[in-house]
Amino acid sequence: MKRVLAACLVFAMAPALPSALAQNQKPDVAKLSLKVGDAAPDFTLLSDQWKTVKLSDYHGKKNVFLAIYVLAFTGG
Amino acid sequence: MDSPAANAAFAKQINVKFPLLSDMNKKMMKDYGILKGYDVQNETYQWAQRANIVIDKNGIIQHIEEGDSAVDPNTAMSVCTDLHKKQAAK
Repeated sequence: MKRVLAACLVFAMAPALPSALAQNQKPDVAKLSLKVGDAAPDFTLLSDQWKTVKLSDYHGKKNVFLAIYVLAFTGG
Repeated sequence: MDSPAANAAFAKQINVKFPLLSDMNKKMMKDYGILKGYDVQNETYQWAQRANIVIDKNGIIQHIEEGDSAVDPNTAMSVCTDLHKKQAAK
């Protein structure tokens, strides 16, 4: 499984989101602007080890699974 | 926003083997279009919506799930598995 997933990145960000608040989502704010088949924009982010991680670090080497979480500490 | 320090504590707690990343300047969220505005008591706040994205070795997006369906990682996991099999077969 480790080889299959290659790189599994989790973004933990933003404040806790009570599920009721999701109802207030503004419709004018973009839906995910990307689609399958698009080139993924490169990014540089700080890891939990305070090292920079770039998407391009994995180019030609590994597939990447991005799991974007809002506050990873919670069950929600 | 979870800081790298908060993520480090969480990584230790759940013993993960992959990097937990922080988008402290929200740039990645903006670039990917996943930064959303939410109205709470007459103020608008921005944070990311939940999403699972699979990107292949060539940097091409192979799978996207947004919102509630992205809570379950199994579909994205199977996409990864299939992708790996296809690449291994070449």
